[in-house]
Formats: sequence, structure tokens, C-alpha cells
Amino acid sequence: MSADRFEAVILDAHIAPGHDGAAELMVRLRYPNGAEQIISLEADIGFRLMRSCGAADLSGLAGHSWRRMMSD
Amino acid sequence: MFDVLIKNGSIVDGSAAPAYIGDIAIKDGRIAKVGRVDGSARRVIEADGKVAAPGFIDPHTHFDVQLLWDGAARPALAHGVTSVVPGNCSLSLAPLKAHDRAKLIGMFQQIEEMPPEAFTQAFAWTWETFDGYREALRSRISVNVAPLVGHSVIRLWVMGDAANQRAANRDEIERMQALLRTCLEAGAVGLSTSFVDIDDRGWPVPSRFAEFEELDALCAVLGEYGRMLQCVPEFYAMDLTIARIDQLAELSIRHNIPTTFSPLFDISAAPNNAPRAIARVEEQFARGARVWPQMQTRPIDISFSLLRPSLFFARLPRWVQVLRLPLEARLAALRSSDTVAKMVADLGPDGGEAMMGGLIVRGGDAAPDEVVGHRLSEIARDRGEAPGMALIGLSLENGLDVAFLSASMGHEDAERIGSMLAHPLVHIGASDGGAHLASFATYGDTGYLFSEFVRRKGAMSLEQAVRKITAETADIWGLKDRGRIEVGRHADIVVFDPDLIARGEERAVFDMPGDGMRYVRDSIGVETVLVNGVVSYEHGAYTDARAGQFCL
Repeated sequence: MSADRFEAVILDAHIAPGHDGAAELMVRLRYPNGAEQIISLEADIGFRLMRSCGAADLSGLAGHSWRRMMSD
Repeated sequence: MFDVLIKNGSIVDGSAAPAYIGDIAIKDGRIAKVGRVDGSARRVIEADGKVAAPGFIDPHTHFDVQLLWDGAARPALAHGVTSVVPGNCSLSLAPLKAHDRAKLIGMFQQIEEMPPEAFTQAFAWTWETFDGYREALRSRISVNVAPLVGHSVIRLWVMGDAANQRAANRDEIERMQALLRTCLEAGAVGLSTSFVDIDDRGWPVPSRFAEFEELDALCAVLGEYGRMLQCVPEFYAMDLTIARIDQLAELSIRHNIPTTFSPLFDISAAPNNAPRAIARVEEQFARGARVWPQMQTRPIDISFSLLRPSLFFARLPRWVQVLRLPLEARLAALRSSDTVAKMVADLGPDGGEAMMGGLIVRGGDAAPDEVVGHRLSEIARDRGEAPGMALIGLSLENGLDVAFLSASMGHEDAERIGSMLAHPLVHIGASDGGAHLASFATYGDTGYLFSEFVRRKGAMSLEQAVRKITAETADIWGLKDRGRIEVGRHADIVVFDPDLIARGEERAVFDMPGDGMRYVRDSIGVETVLVNGVVSYEHGAYTDARAGQFCL
């Protein structure tokens, strides 16, 4: 599922510590109107996103639709 | 004759006024005289060269259960904390019907990482009502307690199994209001709710099923008493947090109540997040709302073991691939010299020195004592291996049950954090004391405030720092006669060395019920702590005093 120009896409992702001391994924999204938002995902969801995007590492997330965060 | 006389201390009274040399006389648990005091006392404490300040107040803890077997909330009292607020994040030990206890234990286990034995082995759970919980604590506490009542347990009481299945109807909301009223009458300092947490089955906690009408109705009851609403907003997405700030502001104005939310922390990957939240808080205070963001002082570490896949390795495809295997397959892969050689090669020509050399072996698990507290660099050197190889080898030798810590990975920029902590609308808190037991130490944030932000960075004066965690906190929460060194106030006092006060190194201890492990930090530079005029900690030892009170 690649992103189309009418939906938010993943710009990049970084690792950051979560509130509970576990590593989390900070995913930066850009919306069609140009607005950006960073969403933090815990490990299980972060790994699921990587698998869903077929990403071997974080760089493989860029360009994918935000909907990948909800797919399994 | 006074009960206690603290002589020649540098008095930092909680108001942020300049420190001055003087005496503090105590009688019947209250401060009787401040300044130059003539007269005798049953106990004299010489405080030359030391600061005498109001006892520190920790507004975000989960000591609900620990207080039942450890009334000092150790080691919080040793750090100078004389008052704690348990019951945060929608969870409290009352009101709760006996048949719902397992559900609550599951929530505490999932959200706050507390072992079930903490709820089943160390005390007799005899109460259901909030008043009953208060009575159970009354004779045991060495610190003052200002308990919140949890929204999730209020829902459970009224709705039973439907509490985390659906919205409440009008009748149920009215019964929740009545129940909240009885808790407030019994001394609850406010209501806590959560928009984030899940239980041990992965279901949203009951408070998350509340519609706005329900929260609004409960806040109307808080308004009758002027009490606090604490909430955990959707902190994983700042836009949602901003929306919650706006909602809290509406509730604050409509019902004339204080509100507070936590956590709020600063992450370099999202540098605008915390400043945006604080800016929104400023706007809402300007409208007349009271929405206090709680910010912790301590930096956030990342910890992991190879028992579970961690995103710490997310930049390393081969590591991700191996660590996501089922346990047996993972062990087999890690025993393959060919696979491990490739994994280590992926770390670069330094064998992982740059990425992993600074990791610290934490202890409290299967890690051998001789490596606990040591950096992976040193361990690798001793083993004659590259750091990546040493991490895998050490883990394999101990059933993968070795935790590594990457220190200060977030909320670590002292320049930025210092200015935020000093902000007049930022509430210093969010320690989570008594929770996350096996993940990190939730004690010593007050010592760290002084060592890092007063002494090292100069982000605020000693007097300002004391005010932030004493008088300001008491005012925000409405804790009557606490938080100041003034005649007539409760004599909660900490005597500390301003040049030394700090937090100790994190270490693992096995003092939880069932020999459960937790991480703690010892206090440094705290000499004497009085709770309601009674010496409760001095020179490194707790006394037998049980002078804690419920405070409102």
C-alpha cells in the first residue's frame, strides 16, 4: 500500500525513549496540507509497522501511507 | 518547652524568599516559632551549614499499595519527601468491591509494573470503601498522604464488568457522582483519570470508556469541594495532548477546579512537543483555567534485554530479524557463530563501541554481580571481544536475562529542561514513585533537581527550587498548612546539605513482597526529615515514627 497524494505519509522515524524506559518509534507524518505531526509508537506496534512496510530498518518506512500503522 | 528545636539552619521557607540563618521551634506537630528562638526543647537539632526547608511534596506517585507495608514509602522519605499523592492515572485501591480486586491488580501490574505479590502477601485486604482504605493506612504511615481516587475503580464499582465495555447511562453517572462524593468526604484530594492506559488483557482501562458527559458530571462534584482532576493524556501524540489541555481548561473553568496532566517530557526527536504544550497551558491560564503540566526532573533512559525485541536495534536489520524470532529460534541464531559474526559486522568497524560501548549492565536479573554497574566497553575489553559480541555472549551465558541501560536518552538536555522546570506554570512532579519497579528507579528526583538544575546548571536558585516542590505544590493541590516554614504550619521539615543533596546511583534491591526486585536510588545529603514535627529519618536511618497524616 503506497501512499497517494491525498493522505498522510511517513516522512521519517527515529528511536526515542518512552515514558516507561522502553525504546519507542517516533514517526513523523506529513499531511496533504503540509502539516506535520510526530506520533510515538511502542515496540510491538513499531515492529508491526516495519513489517507492514517491508522495512528492514527505519529508513524503509519513509514514503509509506500512515495507514500502515493500523495494518497487520 | 518545645518538642523540637532546629538551631542555626539556613532557613529556606518555601516562599522563594532569600535564605536566612535562624531557628525553628516545633510544638505539637506544628511550627511554633521561627527566627531566633530562646527556650529549651526535648530535642535539639544542630543545623549549622545546612538548609532547613519544608518537606518535599511528590504529587504523582503509585504508593497506594506500598504504604500498606512500608509507611515511609522507602526510599522517598529518605530523599526528604514528606507528603505523597497516590492514586494517579485512574487507579486507586478504593473504592473497590472484593470480587474486582483481581482486575485492579491486573491493571496495576500492566500499567505500573507492580508484581501481584505486592497485593497478596504483605497485608490483609479488608476494606472496600475509600474510608476503609484510609483507616487501613492510618496507623501505618510515616509520610503524609493526599490520595486521589481513581476513575477506573469508580466505574468498576458502579458498572461492574460493563465498566470497560461501554459508556455509562444517566443513572450510572449519578451513582458515580454520589460515590465520588463519599470518597471526597473521606479525604480524597481529587479524581484521577486516564485516556491512555490498558489493562493486563490489552483492553482500555474503564476510565477510557467515559464520554465527556460523565467526566463533566464527576468534575461538577470535584467543583463542590474545589478538588483536583489529574489525567494522563494521549502523550504519544502532541496534537491530542493539546486537545486534552483544552478540555481540561474547559472543565477547570466550568467547575472552578484545578487540573493537572502528566507526563510531559522533552524528546530531541520531537523538540517542539513540550514547548507547544507549555504555550497552550499559558493560553489557558490566561483565560482563567488551571491546567498544570507535570514535568519530571530526571532524564529518561532506555533499557532492554535480548529476551524481548527492542526498538533500540531498529536501525540494524539483521539484529531486528534475529531478535524478533521466537525464543528457541532466537537462541539458536545467537549461538550460530556465522550469524553473530554478521550481526557484529553490521555494527561497523568498531564492533559496536560507538553504539553500545556506553551501555551499562543493570543487575536485578541473571547478570553476574561482577559485571553489574559496568559499561559494556569495559566488559568487552575484559573478555577480549568487541562490544557487540560481548553483549550477545553475556546475554547467552545468562539465559538472555541481562538488562542493559542506555542512559539519558531523552529529557536530557539540561538547558532546555532547566528553563521549562523553572517556568511558573510547570509543576515539578511525575516521579511515578512506587511504580515501574523493574524498569527504573522512581526515587531521587528532588535530589536531582538540586544537583543538576540548581548547582550544575544554575537554572534556578536554591530558594526557587525549594518553592517548586513545597509551597507551590501545596498551593496547586490545596494541601492546607503544608509546604512552608511559617508559624502555625505543620512541621514537615527536611534538613539537608545544599552542596551535597543529590540522588545516588540506581541499584537493584529485592525488598518487595515475595522477594520481588525493584530499582532504587539512595538519597545523598539529606540529614534529617521531620513529619508533623516528629523525626522520621536521620543520618541515614528511618526511625519508628508513624507520624504521617492525611492531608487536605
